[in-house]
Amino acid sequence: MAKLQRGESECELEKGVRVSVVMSDSSEDEGPEEVAFEESRSAALKSEEEKLQAAKREKELLKEKRRKRQQFFQEQKKKRLLSDTLLEEFDTVPQKQKKLSDDRDEEKDKKQQKLTKSKKKKASRSLQGNCSVMRLKDESADSSMQQSAMDFIQARLYGSGTLRTTNAELLSLEKKRGVKKGAAVQFVNKKWGAEQKAKAEKSNKRFIHRQKLVTT
Amino acid sequence: MGEFKVHRVRFFDYMPSAIRALAFQPQREKIAVARTSGSVEIFNCADRFFQEKIIPGREQAATEALAWVGDRLFSAGLNGVISEYDLENQKVKYTIDAFGGPMWTIASNQQGTHLAVGCEDGTVKLFEVCEGKIQFEKNLAKQKGRILSLSWHPSGSRIVAGMMDMIRVFNTETGQSVHRLLVERGIGASRSVECVVWGVVYLSDGTIISGDSSGKVKIWDDLTGTLIKSHQVTKWDVLALSVSQDETSVVAGTSEGTVVQFQFLSVVLGQEDKEWVQTRIFKNHTHDVRAVLELGTAVVSGGMDTQFVVRPLLDKIEERGPECVLRKIQFPHRSLVSCAKKAGLLLFQYPGHLELWRLGESDGHGASGSVLPVKRKPEKLLHLKIKGEEHICCSAVSPCGEWIAYSTVASFRLYRLHCDNNNVSITKVSKLPKVLSSANQICFSSDSSKLFAASTCSSVHVVSLSQTVHKFVCTLKPKSGSVQAVHLLAASEDGKWLASANSDREVQIYNLTKMKLHSTVPVYNSGVTAMAIHPTTNNLFMVHADQQVFEYSIEEKKYTDWSRQVQRNGLHYLWLARDTPVTNVTFNPKNPTHIILHDAYMFCIIDQTLPLPDSCSQFYNQLTLRSLPEKDRTKHSHAFKMCKTFKELMFVELMEDQSLVAVERPLVEIAAQLPAPVRQKKFAT
Repeated sequence: MAKLQRGESECELEKGVRVSVVMSDSSEDEGPEEVAFEESRSAALKSEEEKLQAAKREKELLKEKRRKRQQFFQEQKKKRLLSDTLLEEFDTVPQKQKKLSDDRDEEKDKKQQKLTKSKKKKASRSLQGNCSVMRLKDESADSSMQQSAMDFIQARLYGSGTLRTTNAELLSLEKKRGVKKGAAVQFVNKKWGAEQKAKAEKSNKRFIHRQKLVTT
Repeated sequence: MGEFKVHRVRFFDYMPSAIRALAFQPQREKIAVARTSGSVEIFNCADRFFQEKIIPGREQAATEALAWVGDRLFSAGLNGVISEYDLENQKVKYTIDAFGGPMWTIASNQQGTHLAVGCEDGTVKLFEVCEGKIQFEKNLAKQKGRILSLSWHPSGSRIVAGMMDMIRVFNTETGQSVHRLLVERGIGASRSVECVVWGVVYLSDGTIISGDSSGKVKIWDDLTGTLIKSHQVTKWDVLALSVSQDETSVVAGTSEGTVVQFQFLSVVLGQEDKEWVQTRIFKNHTHDVRAVLELGTAVVSGGMDTQFVVRPLLDKIEERGPECVLRKIQFPHRSLVSCAKKAGLLLFQYPGHLELWRLGESDGHGASGSVLPVKRKPEKLLHLKIKGEEHICCSAVSPCGEWIAYSTVASFRLYRLHCDNNNVSITKVSKLPKVLSSANQICFSSDSSKLFAASTCSSVHVVSLSQTVHKFVCTLKPKSGSVQAVHLLAASEDGKWLASANSDREVQIYNLTKMKLHSTVPVYNSGVTAMAIHPTTNNLFMVHADQQVFEYSIEEKKYTDWSRQVQRNGLHYLWLARDTPVTNVTFNPKNPTHIILHDAYMFCIIDQTLPLPDSCSQFYNQLTLRSLPEKDRTKHSHAFKMCKTFKELMFVELMEDQSLVAVERPLVEIAAQLPAPVRQKKFAT
């Protein structure tokens, strides 16, 4: 019985034994049946072959998938690249603009080079007929890095894990613990807490409407 | 004395920007302050922390750190450029792109030869400081993380860099990392977030002190690369560190507004072995403290609550004097409001725009201290946005209210205002003389016929204004050839004299009929904070940063007798103990012996006919005088009439109709617009 609990990966001999054990469950008094060695051997060999074939089939399937994907990507790439005729046209466009953009590429880092190249492709796709080279804003890459740096600091100091409160609460606590006790700033100064008051008004209106307290 | 109707103006929404970095220059005792708006201010420690220079910022500025190299000031920011400032002309000299992405920190070595910059991409770049420029020398080994703080070893051979979750020690010659010190993360929820090392300090004996976002100040040894001691200072981040010149005291600024001091002391009295011990905590801020400086005799801190706080360390000060006072500098030491006296208009200078308001009117009469009913409310006539990214440097409105001029570091603009009863129209004056490219200070003559613009090298350009053509008249130059900028201009009522004060402590007086220099006031060792020329007697009245008061007769070219008497007598100690400077001086045409001046917390009328107060008489005696009967008042009154009714004053002026204008900016309104503070649980709340 313990052998039944073992996993699938077992040698064929044990499998053969298991088969015989299952058969004997029906009549436990009788002794185990005799199974010819040849039969069990052939059964085991068959199962082996089947396994190999299944593995082969799987490999074939994967190969097929990969081939199809590769084809699909190649087609996509072809679509993105310009047709040969357009490329010939570009060769005749004045060389100056090309030189300018090359110089700028040399000055900047490689990362920015890649960015500008990919952007150039996008920009040039819209060019049909009248060619006009658009000047890339050099700050575009820098400003995004600056923005991400500012987001980093904002997240670290005022982000989700930090325990922050409002200025209204700070000032109200100071008034509460001060020498001259006073009420919280929302009640003293009309300008504070204007949004909360507006929210409270709205929810009051909604409540009254729902409860149908005001008979129309 | 006088009854005045007071226009209490609270619609100037002045909002200062947070302090991001501080840097100290020990040779001249100046502190440079960088704000988040990109502006840089220079404070003079020796002169009562007077704000000598203001370099205006720009839009989208993100200055992160400042460093002095000798007399030169450099800054690094998130826009990836290193800027050098031209302190004489109060603008940016040049910027250089470091090509490392946003820069978080900049540090100069003690020898003054190199600058190190920490970048977002993980490189520490070394620049060589040459004459007139800086040159890129090399990159230290590139790391996988941003470099947030840097500190040079005093010998210049090593640099320590604080990064995310670790601290690296570099050898500057080889550029390789010598040690990697791992900083452990916080406990509980903060275990999943990286620990940011916000500040590092390298001491000459090889000790490294670091402050990180888990609230710990850690002390490391750089020989073995191990942690010596760790102090949990706060539950929030430790944002800034600074070490004193003699390396015995380190201060750390935290997110909850406290500044914690560590001192290198022996724990047991008499024993020789010393260690770093947490000694004092100063709680002078309500919001995050982002920059601290340990000056030896004082601890200077600044942060998100925009206040510049100087806390003197009384055990290091020998004499009792003005350095022993806790100072909180909230308002700038220059006037941001200008007033058209004849037209009843106020011009407010904001960083990116100008606002012109007409004052309201009230007919009623009332007892002293009562609120009068308003017949017509004050109204905003003009909202003038400037083009370009630079912030406004200075602005002025002419006394008749017809001309408005402002200047940024790159441009100068003059506008003509037409104001009928309900229609306000403004036209820009397009053809200005070419000399007017930018100005440090602008002033109009009292009859609005001339415009004075202070420019480079303490020179003043005079331009005559008319309906059609504005001609350049001449340039007035001082004899001394000073290169510093002028920060104050005062024109006389009769249009004959012009006084200018510059950062070299010189006050020049020019004769406008002959268009040349008339005289120079004897140099006094404190800067001038406010000055004005009397309308009838043509005496120049000056107030200095150390609260001294002088009156100089222009026609006679010497100090007046009243001024000499004040100097002989000495000013009252309570007057000298005031901690904010006087920013405006004005006169009363109906009472020629009265001088009206104000600072942030009081306004005062000085009566030159009354006797001066001596040290034993009561100084703030207005209330007692009011309680006395009429006959006895003259016996007890003295020259200084102080009024403390108005607080947080930005501007006080006397209009033509004998009404006072007091522009107040309550600190509560400023506090309402600050970013969020940390939540602290206090007992019984």
